[in-house]
Amino acid sequence: MAPVFKPSPLDILSNWGLVSAILVGLAIIAFFAEFEGKRVSSKEIALVGMLGTVSAVLRIPFAAMPSVQPCTALIICSGYVFGPLVGFMVGAITALVSNFFLGQGPWTLYQMFAWGMAGVTAAYLRRFNLDRRGLIAFGIFWGYAFGAIMNMWFWASFIYPLTLKTFIVAQLNSVWFDTAHAVGNAILLGVLGNKTIAILERFRKRFQWQITTQCFI
Amino acid sequence: MRSLRYQDKETPVHKLNPFSKLAWIGSVLILALILDNPLFLLALFLLVLPIIKVAGIWKEWLSTMKFSLFMCLAIILINALVSSRGSHILFEAPFRIPVMGIPVITLEAILYGVAMSLRLLVIISVFAVLTFTIHPDDMMLAMIKMKLPYKSVLVISLSTRFIPTLVDDTQRITDIQRSRGLELDGGGLAHRIKSRSSIVIALLSNSLDRAVQVAEAMESRAFGIGRGRTFYKDIKFTITDITTVVFALLPGVLGIVMGIYGYGQYQYYPTFERISLNGPEWYLLALMTSLLFAILPLAYIKRRVNLD
Repeated sequence: MAPVFKPSPLDILSNWGLVSAILVGLAIIAFFAEFEGKRVSSKEIALVGMLGTVSAVLRIPFAAMPSVQPCTALIICSGYVFGPLVGFMVGAITALVSNFFLGQGPWTLYQMFAWGMAGVTAAYLRRFNLDRRGLIAFGIFWGYAFGAIMNMWFWASFIYPLTLKTFIVAQLNSVWFDTAHAVGNAILLGVLGNKTIAILERFRKRFQWQITTQCFI
Repeated sequence: MRSLRYQDKETPVHKLNPFSKLAWIGSVLILALILDNPLFLLALFLLVLPIIKVAGIWKEWLSTMKFSLFMCLAIILINALVSSRGSHILFEAPFRIPVMGIPVITLEAILYGVAMSLRLLVIISVFAVLTFTIHPDDMMLAMIKMKLPYKSVLVISLSTRFIPTLVDDTQRITDIQRSRGLELDGGGLAHRIKSRSSIVIALLSNSLDRAVQVAEAMESRAFGIGRGRTFYKDIKFTITDITTVVFALLPGVLGIVMGIYGYGQYQYYPTFERISLNGPEWYLLALMTSLLFAILPLAYIKRRVNLD
């Protein structure tokens, strides 16, 4: 790997850890801009903020079980009931806010993205009209997908060379934690999934949580 | 969860303007991500330590370090095992692993792993400064003042503000469920998750009611009426603050310039170079160190000014 090309100012862009952080940051900004662009009433702001708080706080009673993340289940349920935008916001806020208390780090960005995407994809589950088993399968999928996104950061920033081989090894590094996450999701969604969705549905119907036509901001 | 959070302290670092600290943290992050040379990374790491010491968050920092050491170990191990591009072979396994090939451990890979661990430690330490010396409310205020979109910041600050309330709620609900005979300890993973689910449902419905109250409170205070906002608490900008922010931003600019001109870079593969700096890099190192270190005297000056 002798340098074939002369060093150029653009070499800074071959720093893949930096590039991946910028890309993930842009994706998050895009969703926040979408939220900003919508006419959001005080109800939606309160709902999104509160769901984010609940899912961040839920990490406490489960703190004794490392890598069981109850917030994933709640984020999936909120995305399922309130749609992709609310799902993303709840996921991103969960990561950002809980890390004010658990410690911010470079992982915050990737957690915001990973949990946000869990909320976004959950919104599309509705189309397939899934039963309880489908929800559990979805939880298991996100247990591993969350780990994969988090490992991506680790892999791109600290491992060299970036090949398929090293990617697989980096993914295997956390397979036990991801399995615990996936199993936790499956149990939580199995036990609580339908009940949580029912509570959120009832709430949505009661207060008509939709983007209203009135202009508040 | 409660031990590892911001605590009010009367140190010069805590008293700094949040913008100065954010700028300084941003600069260190940029430098840590751009520079490759282990000497620069080591210098950055050593520069964060005095700030942590002065801020009196040594204990908190140590506990984050304990957790990061596992990550460092993973970085060194994975790099050593998967990277076979180095030329100084220390060990070659006599067997073959399917997909992976013959495991080879090279000196270059270990050196790279150690340098990357150093980078990780810098990043985590500087984030510890952020978590433990900037009050979440000040962060929010800084975000609003930076003209970030208001609704997003409002959602985040609302959420942050309700965390302690909901922590208390959780505690209360747990106590109530315990007194009703809920068994929280013992049993397998499934049992423990199931037993906690009654807390989850109660907390969720309770909080949704709170959300309605918050929305009503916002409506009654004419949220979204759209006139200019006033602030109950403000971030004041004095001459010292502006100087500090400028001084804190300079190292980041320096880092970008160094990245563009190729200073502070280091080639790990295929054969590691002697770990040293060339002529201008010594001056750059000195410049970077003094610029980053300037925040400490400035913090003391600011405190002195505030006392007067």
